[in-house]
Amino acid sequence: MGIYEISFWFLTVMALSCALGVILSRNPVNSVLFLIATFFAISGHYILLNAQFLAIVNIIVYAGAIMVLFLFVIMLMNLNADTEPQKNRLVQIAGAISGGTLLLVILAALRTSTITSLDQTSTDIGLIKNLGKTLFTQFVLPFEISSVLFLSAMIGAVVIGKKEQTV
Amino acid sequence: MNFLLLAANQQTPFSYLPVAIQLLVGIGFVVLTIGASQFLGPKRSTADKLINFESGIPSVGNARQPMAIKYFLVAILFVLFDVEVIFFYPYAVNFKELGQEGFWAVIMFVAFFLSGFIYIVKKGALDWED
Amino acid sequence: MKAIIAATVLGVILMFAGLFVKEKKSVASLAVFLLFVLLGVNIWDLVTTAPNETLSFFNNMLRVDRYALWFNTLMTGCTLLYALLVSKEIQRVGSHVAEYFALICFILCGVYMLSTYNNVLILFIGIEILSIPQYILAGSDKRNLKSSEASLKYFLMGAFSTGILLMGITLLYGATGTFNIIQYTFLQSDMLSPMALAGILFLMVAFAFKVSAAPMHMWTPDVYDGAPTPFTAFMATIVKASAFVAFMRLFSVSFGAISSDWMMVLAIITAATLFVGNITAVFQQSVKRMLAYSSIAQAGFMLFAVLAVNATAWQGMMIYAVAYSVATIGMFAVLMKMKDYTYDGFNGLAKKDPMLAAFTTVFLLSLAGIPLTGGFMAKYFVLLAAVEQGKMMWLVIFALFMAAVSAYYYFRVIMAMYFKQGNAELNTEVSATDRFLLAITVLLVIVLGAAPNLILNI
Repeated sequence: MGIYEISFWFLTVMALSCALGVILSRNPVNSVLFLIATFFAISGHYILLNAQFLAIVNIIVYAGAIMVLFLFVIMLMNLNADTEPQKNRLVQIAGAISGGTLLLVILAALRTSTITSLDQTSTDIGLIKNLGKTLFTQFVLPFEISSVLFLSAMIGAVVIGKKEQTV
Repeated sequence: MNFLLLAANQQTPFSYLPVAIQLLVGIGFVVLTIGASQFLGPKRSTADKLINFESGIPSVGNARQPMAIKYFLVAILFVLFDVEVIFFYPYAVNFKELGQEGFWAVIMFVAFFLSGFIYIVKKGALDWED
Repeated sequence: MKAIIAATVLGVILMFAGLFVKEKKSVASLAVFLLFVLLGVNIWDLVTTAPNETLSFFNNMLRVDRYALWFNTLMTGCTLLYALLVSKEIQRVGSHVAEYFALICFILCGVYMLSTYNNVLILFIGIEILSIPQYILAGSDKRNLKSSEASLKYFLMGAFSTGILLMGITLLYGATGTFNIIQYTFLQSDMLSPMALAGILFLMVAFAFKVSAAPMHMWTPDVYDGAPTPFTAFMATIVKASAFVAFMRLFSVSFGAISSDWMMVLAIITAATLFVGNITAVFQQSVKRMLAYSSIAQAGFMLFAVLAVNATAWQGMMIYAVAYSVATIGMFAVLMKMKDYTYDGFNGLAKKDPMLAAFTTVFLLSLAGIPLTGGFMAKYFVLLAAVEQGKMMWLVIFALFMAAVSAYYYFRVIMAMYFKQGNAELNTEVSATDRFLLAITVLLVIVLGAAPNLILNI
């Protein structure tokens, strides 16, 4: 077992257990912290896949900026007391069954398909240079169009977040 | 020591090995010092010592107070422009090769963002007093 | 392609118009004028493309054919009609009138992408551009708690379904190694990997959510009921129709060859949608909520076009999109004039305002699918497509039965207007312009019913 496998298993265990921590911890702030740890583990996976740009972006945008927003939302909601309503047992069972079925479908799908194992030294599509080349030539349209998405998000922030001047 | 040779090559995941080692050392140091002081230090816990330290003043209320939406507005606008800046990294690396076409693509993208920025400023979304 | 750029630029112009033009009324007039321009650009796109020509843009990201251009033009026309009819009500929602219209322009940009996409990345961004402005519009009435609730519910559920869409795209990419929807066709039944099948299933679920098909319809009544009525009218018509065209494009262009693999699942979704939409609509007391359930029921009929992978289905989708949009926009325009949104609010409208009652009757008849209206032709074409395909006869019979059920709740409004005693109170005075526009809408509904070939032979 080389260093590659060791780090792979370490990151996998870390990602899965932190993800479980997100949904199992009672305190929402703890959930956010677990989520940040999950993002770091996933960034580690990106590095193992030689997708260095994705790894950095994942940390800057998700672990950095978006998690701050999550914390803001939790502060805004004032989740002080344990206000989580008691869930219906029937709904819980139905959720478990449907989630389990989905898991079964995905497992069945992945079990039979052949995925060529990745040679960790030879792929370099995730390197920032190659990614940039593809992004600005082949995928230039989605890149440009995404600015419309950002504009609507800005309008939304102003429309919903800004106090109405005179009503 | 094969992987150390690989680490010298910048194009592989192994070039991040020093970063990982540094991370481990950093975390290990913090865990070690805090853990050591926990175990080695004397424990004389009194009721006064167990309350949260708040600059010597008795703590009032709870930290979970609803706060103004203004903070959130600024934060979400920050995220949008943060994402915009991210797109510059891959462009900067390929600046020469992409030439005219890439330049205009980025200019158009930035123009949309700039108009969004002007809109935000004019609309007063960043004004603190209102 | 020109239309996408135009919609974006006009959206930006409208965004800034709110800063410089303070008068709400002039902003609305500017918006209507810009929508006229957008319609002009669409027609320009349409006439400069030869009938059998297929253009592709940006390394095959977009594939523009005559059908897509014609659909875009019709949807822009519907938006224009909508803007003319409800611009007064939009001005009453809140103080950001220019922003609302800008968001509508951005949604139109998403509509154009969804009708021409040739790459699932464009599909994804198109769906997002379609959805995010809707979340904002749903929550635009900040003084109303139900509007905020609708917005939050829609956002959370919508984000979840977008996640499912992405998961489906990922699985398909894993199975095929491409994002291009044309290249998905090499999937043959005998070599179909379970991974691709799971991907198709995920995509189907995500689309079923976006078009509010049962059992992914739970958000629809609350969102449509809570959102400000003018924006409900937009969400339930143009947005839904374009989500359907995107659905159909992927499932007939890419997965058409393997339709036997997914047909049964979609048939069950269709049956559930028809059943839930129609049966629940019967029990509603509010006309707005009834229209929300009726939009679920109508989605059940539109699903037939997706199910029947043939040429008639494309025609059926086109006419259904237009006929349903026009009639629903008209119905919502009337509803916005009413003070009370319950059935009782319509009591005695025929005595008080016979003209408005007559218009309402035509819209409702069209929604119910009575002959000589656009709604009948629409239902006829989608069911014809299913009959031609011939595998789903039981579903067609079920749909006919459900159409009969739907007549009950549409006729309940007509009964209230004509045969019940009461004093239907109007919110605002119905101006001469409103009457003229409603008359045009009625005319469109009837023309669609009498001569559907006008929009089919293009």
